[in-house]
This record gives sequence, structure tokens and C-alpha cells, in this order.
Amino acid sequence: MNTALLLAVGGLTAVGLYLLTGRSLSRIVIGYSLLGHATVVALIAAGGLAGRPPIAGGAALEDMSNPLPQALTLTAIVISFGLTLFLLALARRQRTLSGDDLVEDDLEDRRIAAAEGSGEAGAR
Amino acid sequence: MIGGLLLSHAAVCLVLAAAGRRLGRGSLLVAAVPPAAATVWGVTRLGGEEPAVAHVSWVDGLDLAMTFRVDAFAGIMTLIVSGIGVAVFVYAFGYFSAADPAMGRFATTLLAFSAAMLGLVWSDSVWSLFVFWELTSVTSFLLVGHKSTDAGVLAAARRALMVTGGGGLALLAGLLLVTRAADATLLSDLGPVQGASAVVGAVLVMVAAATKSAQVPFHAWLPGAMVAPTPVSAYLHSATMVKAGVVLVAVAGPALGSLAAWKALGLAFGIASIFWGAVGALRHRDAKLILAWGTVSQLGMLITLFSVGTAHAVLAAVALLVAHALFKGALFLIVGEIDVRAGTRNIDELGGLARSMPIACFAAVLAGMSMAGAPPLLGFVAKETAIAAALDLEGPEAWIVGFGVIGGSVLTVAYTVRFLIAVFGAGPQTPLAPGRGALPAPSVILAAAGVAGYGALGVVDDLVGEAAARLSGAAVGHLHRWPGLTLELGVSAVVLAIGALVGLAVSRRPPRMPADLGARWTDASIDGSVAFGRTVCARVQHGSLPVYLVTMTSVAALAATPFLADVSVDHLVVWHRPLQVLLAAAVISAAVALCFVGTRLGAGLALGGAGIAVAAIFVIHGAPDLALTQLLVEATIVVGFVLAFGHLSRSFPLTGARWRAVRMAIAGLGGAAVVIGLGAASANPSGSPPVAEMATAAANEGGGGNIVNVILTDIRGLDTLGEVLVLATVALGVVALARASSGTASEQSAGTASERATDAASEPA
Repeated sequence: MNTALLLAVGGLTAVGLYLLTGRSLSRIVIGYSLLGHATVVALIAAGGLAGRPPIAGGAALEDMSNPLPQALTLTAIVISFGLTLFLLALARRQRTLSGDDLVEDDLEDRRIAAAEGSGEAGAR
Repeated sequence: MIGGLLLSHAAVCLVLAAAGRRLGRGSLLVAAVPPAAATVWGVTRLGGEEPAVAHVSWVDGLDLAMTFRVDAFAGIMTLIVSGIGVAVFVYAFGYFSAADPAMGRFATTLLAFSAAMLGLVWSDSVWSLFVFWELTSVTSFLLVGHKSTDAGVLAAARRALMVTGGGGLALLAGLLLVTRAADATLLSDLGPVQGASAVVGAVLVMVAAATKSAQVPFHAWLPGAMVAPTPVSAYLHSATMVKAGVVLVAVAGPALGSLAAWKALGLAFGIASIFWGAVGALRHRDAKLILAWGTVSQLGMLITLFSVGTAHAVLAAVALLVAHALFKGALFLIVGEIDVRAGTRNIDELGGLARSMPIACFAAVLAGMSMAGAPPLLGFVAKETAIAAALDLEGPEAWIVGFGVIGGSVLTVAYTVRFLIAVFGAGPQTPLAPGRGALPAPSVILAAAGVAGYGALGVVDDLVGEAAARLSGAAVGHLHRWPGLTLELGVSAVVLAIGALVGLAVSRRPPRMPADLGARWTDASIDGSVAFGRTVCARVQHGSLPVYLVTMTSVAALAATPFLADVSVDHLVVWHRPLQVLLAAAVISAAVALCFVGTRLGAGLALGGAGIAVAAIFVIHGAPDLALTQLLVEATIVVGFVLAFGHLSRSFPLTGARWRAVRMAIAGLGGAAVVIGLGAASANPSGSPPVAEMATAAANEGGGGNIVNVILTDIRGLDTLGEVLVLATVALGVVALARASSGTASEQSAGTASERATDAASEPA
């Protein structure tokens, strides 16, 4: 495997996870997008060596890059694009409602934790 | 036939569940039909040479199948489960009042239990045994909690479920270990096992048996379960369900009996229960509790004998199993009858019943003599054989088992004498309600069966001997109607004499209510584990989403560590094209910049930069379609980013430095885990890429030159259609969210702002 691409995947993943664990929704969207990049680069790097575009007539068969992971990667790009856009729409909605883009605690979980902690779970 | 019988139980259950309300008390008689059929089938099969087998495959690849095998031992258990089942259903018809509205539900559950118990004793596959084992625990819970409004009843039902359910978990773990060690999942295939994991498995299986058969220290649920209606106590908690643990020890004996830990643990449980159960039976003043504690003691005797595992001991155990089901079932039914007619079971309030209930008294004396081991009853034969088996042993085992069997027999005689004197002895006459027709019949039949078994000992000997030979894997001796003037007869006479004296002495003691330490201890440990669960829940499910993510990432990263060994540098090259290094560096620096960019606009631009670098990687790699798509996508996302966040304050909110360090560390671990995983995967290349096949397929089937395009639109065209649907759905969602945000924003923001739990202080740090 290609070490340069491998390290790019590792770097993208690390930064993506770092941003994903923050409180700012815009940074979470960015982190999500970076994780998507990491995935597609990983797919391509795992799929084989670099080569000529896999178009019949453009190059000899043995010089071509592997077309199968490319087809899978195309799907990955498109789906992560869709999800990123949806996240952006959610973030915009959040901003309209609350005026900022901070991720809040899960209210239901907070209630459970408070009830369990004080031993009142039976009364719920 | 096996499947048909089980299905007929299930079918009648369904009918009763649907029509039980209309049938009322009559549903009990309808429910007696399938057990009666099973009894008849069991009787016709008696003495048959070949075991009946049935096999229902579920998942072949996983070896998941319901496999049943009715051999001599399972045949005896069939008669106990279904035969006593019929007696109990008939008895229950007289026990409950006709007006009781819950009879349909009760009959359904009791019949479901009967089916589960049959499945358990018929199972050959350990997995079907486990499933039916759990079913008996659940139906037992439902039946104990039948009077479901009383807090004490619910506590007892919970205790029974927690203890036997916990035992079920131990059983599952134990069976997994044992079947792995033996490399077989059929009980009939299990050979002797060896090794550390087999020992752990055997210990777990024995613990499971001890919970189900109410062995000390797991015994407290059984006396507690006496709050159930008497038919349930007689059927589940003396004759059948509590025998499940004994059955498990019996059928696992051939595989696990050679392990020292199995035998030692079995003897420890058994002998402790023999004595502690008998002491309980001597202390309590509720007639039903006396019997329940006596059951703990008798089950201890059975576990002891089956754990010893010699042919002689197994023969004694099977004989005692049969005798106990008969006499204890009869005694429970008699106590239930007294309860119904006298309105109390407290031995201090009962008196003169020998005169006013002569039939019950006669049956109780017969059953009691069998329990005490007096001739001419089946219990006598069983006890003689048990003493002889104990005397047969050698070394320290002989002393331990002999002490347990003989000491236990003395105490059994004592609590039997005390029970009979206390219930039927002299005293002020207890006023009685009028008798109900069918109520005494089942107990008389069960008690008389003990005499009949003694009379026709030849038949019993054939059946019990065959079962014991199957369980011990060796030739067994015979049961003797009268052993002659042997040592065991002498021991037996001494046992009867001392036991009777002890029983008389205890009967004269002034009444004193015993404290039930076992129940308190069990409840405390259940409450303790619930409290522990609450504490863990409050710690783990605290509500902060970032902390959840960090936890998940660290677990996933830890899961990658085993792959570290598979990473090999042999398959790694630094680059294939020099430009790749430059682009990888560009991607990483854009990503790192994203961590430090303070403004939202800058972040959007850096994100775009990273995306373009990725697109360039695609170009270098020979993937122009990907590069085009990536560029298009990237441009759209940057536009979306500006639209979504453009109006927000320009810079990001700051977070705590310590929390940031934790996030960085975990994120670094996550990245490293991905690199390790990919590195390990690349050490196992799976041959050359199928470029030529794809090119041919593209040209011949898709009629196109661009292979990637043909794959997407033709070879996996349906997937691409699904992808289009996903995008269309996303588009609808985005439009809906964008529309919703205009107009109602001002009213809603007031409401949500007050609910928000987030502020700078709640940031985990």
C-alpha cells in the first residue's frame, strides 16, 4: 500500500474525530466531511496502484487503475455529500431556533442520569 | 410423536388464552388433556428398547436445532411431569372457586409450564435444553405472581425469577464452555471432558443447577415461592421444576462427572442443603413451608447422589427422584386441601384433623412414611439403596457422603414426625368448611402410588435400573424390596428410631417464629445489584454527546490493537507517483489547519482546500470520474456552509483546554487505529485487480468504454437507483428544513432556549 495515502487517511481521520467531538455544530459538520474524505481515500488506496484512467482504448489494460473501488468510491462520495448537506440544513435550523450552533446535552439522558443518581428510578 | 405432543400443548395453550375467560374454571380440565396424552404415550413406551428421537433444524450452519431424545430416564421424567400434571390440573379444579376470574390465564400458564418442562426433559441438544430451562423460569415467575396485587407475592416472584434467571445465565456460559471442550452439542454425544475451560464450564453448570434446585445458598427463593397457589407449589416447586437442576446434574454426569471440581461442588451444595433444609423444616410453623424446606433438603440429597456418580448412587438417586415426586406431591396437595377447608396452614391453629379429615390423614401418613423411608413404601427402597450406595464408597468420600445421607435421613424422619403430629395430632378441633368433591382424590392416588410402587417393585426396578444404567454408563444393581439382615437395614432402623425421638422432642418446643436470613440475604444482593446498575447507568448515560463519541472512539481504537501484529512493511511503498507525497502533505496540512482556524469563513475555505487536494489525489491515481464528482461536491458544500453559518458570529466558541487535550489524544488514537487496520489489511493482498474482466464486461454487456461509468449505470444499476432515491430524500429534507426555519422561528426560539441544558459550564472538562 501507498504510505503517503495511508498517512493522509490517518490524518484526516484524526482531525475528523477531533472536530466531531467538539460542541460547535459547524465544526462537527466539517469533521464529518473530513471523515468522508478519509474513507474515500482509504478505498482508493486499498484498491490498488495508481494507473491510467480505466477507459477502454485510452490505455493498455495492464496500465489501468482498478475500476471497481472507483465505482464504490463514487457512491461513497455522493452519499457523504448528501449527509453533509442534510447536516448543514439541520445546523441552519438549529441556528434559527437557538441563535447559535452549539450541540446540547441529550435532555432525556440527563433526566435519566439525574433520576438514577438520586435513586428515584423506581418512581419514574 | 414428540413434536406432535409439544405442538398439542402449544395449541391448547392458544385455545385457552383465547377462550379461557368463557371457559372459566373448566379451562383447567381442558388443560389436563395434553398432559394426559403425554402420560399415555409415556406409558406405552415404557420398557421400549430404542429411544424416541425428533429433530427440527433451524439454522444448519450454526448447528442450531431442536433435538429431542426420549430415553429411559427421560421416559421416567415424562411420567412424573405429565402424570403429576394431570393430577394437579384435576386438583386445581377443586381448589379454586368457580368465581375466580383469572382461571383461563392460570390454566394457560400452568400448561405452558408443563410443555416447557417436557421439552426440557426431552431435550438432547443443549441449546433446546437451555431454551426450555429459561421458559420454566419465566412461567414459574408468572405462576408465583398469580395473585399479582400483593407486594409480598411480587417480591417472592421477583426473587424466584432473579435467582433462577441468574442461574440461566450461568448455564448458558457453562454450556458454551463445555460444548467447546467436548466438541459436541448433543447430550448423548458428550464424552468426558478435560481442561481448564471445561472445569470453569462445569462449575457454572453446577451453579445453574443449584439455583434451579434451590440449593444453599441459593435456596431462599423456594420457601418464598410458597405464596403461590398450592397446585403451583405441588407441581412446580416440589415435583417438577425444582427437579430441573437435578436432571441437569444427572444428564451432564457422564461428561462432567470425572472432573474433581464438579463432584466437590455438587457434594458441597448437596450436603449443605440436606442439613440446612432439614433444619428449616424443623423450625417453621407453616405446614407448607415445612414441606418446602423439606424439598430443599431432599433436592440436596438428590444432587449429592448424582454428583457421587457411581452406578449404585445413581440408581438410588433415580429411585428417590420418583419416590419424592409422589410423596411430596401428595403432601402438598393435602396441605392445600387443609388450607382451603380450615382457612389456615399454621400448625399452631390446626388440631383434630385426624378425626375430621380421615382420608387426608390416611394419605398423609402413607406419604409421610414414604418420605421418612419406612416400609412398605417406595421411599424405603430409595433410602435403603442410598445408604447402601454411601456404604459402598471408599476413603474420605465415604465418610462425607455417609454423613450426609445418614444424617439427612435422621432429620427427614424428624421433620416428618413433627409435620404429621403438628397437622393431624391432638388439639382443639379446627372448624372446617365443607369438603369439595374432587379435592382429596389426586393426593390419595399419589400417596397410594408409593405403596403400589413398593408392591410392584419388579416393574419399578426395571425402569429405574435402565435409566440409571443410561446415566451412569455402567451396569447397576437392583432395588430390593427387603434387603435382608444387612448393615444398611440396621442403619435404617437406627435412623428411624433416632429421627422419631428428635421429631417428638422438637414438636414439644414452644412456638417461635424463625427469622428468614436466606430471603433477606437474597433480597439484599438483588437490591445491591440493582443499585449498582443505577450507579453505572448514571455514570455512563450522563447526556453529553461529545463524551459518548469519545468513549466509542476509544473502544473502537482499542479493538484495533490486535491488528498491530499483522502490519508488515513488506507491502508498503512510500509512493507510486511523487506527487502523491505532496498532495498527502497538502491534505494533512489543510486538515490540521481546520483545527486551528478561528473563523467560520476560514474553516469553510480550508475544508474546500482539503477537498480539492483529495480530488487531485484522484487525478493522480487515475480516477478522473471521482475527481470531477469530488470538485462538484466540494463547491456545493462550501456554498452550503456559507449559507448555513454565514450569519453566525465569525469565530468559534472556545472550549476548556483539558477537554481539548483529551479529544486530541482520543482522535489521534482513532487515526492510528485506522492506519493500523489498513496496514494490516494491505499485508493480505487478494491477487491482482479484475481490470480485464471488468473491461470485457463493460464492452460486451454495457456497450461502453468508461468502465467506472458502466459499473455504476449498468452492472450495479439498481444500487445507483437507490443512491438517487437517497439524494432525492435528502433534497426533500433540506428543503423542508429550510422552509420550516422561516416564519415560526421567533416563537419557537423562546421555548427551546429555556429548555437548553448547554452552557459553557456544562462542557466536560
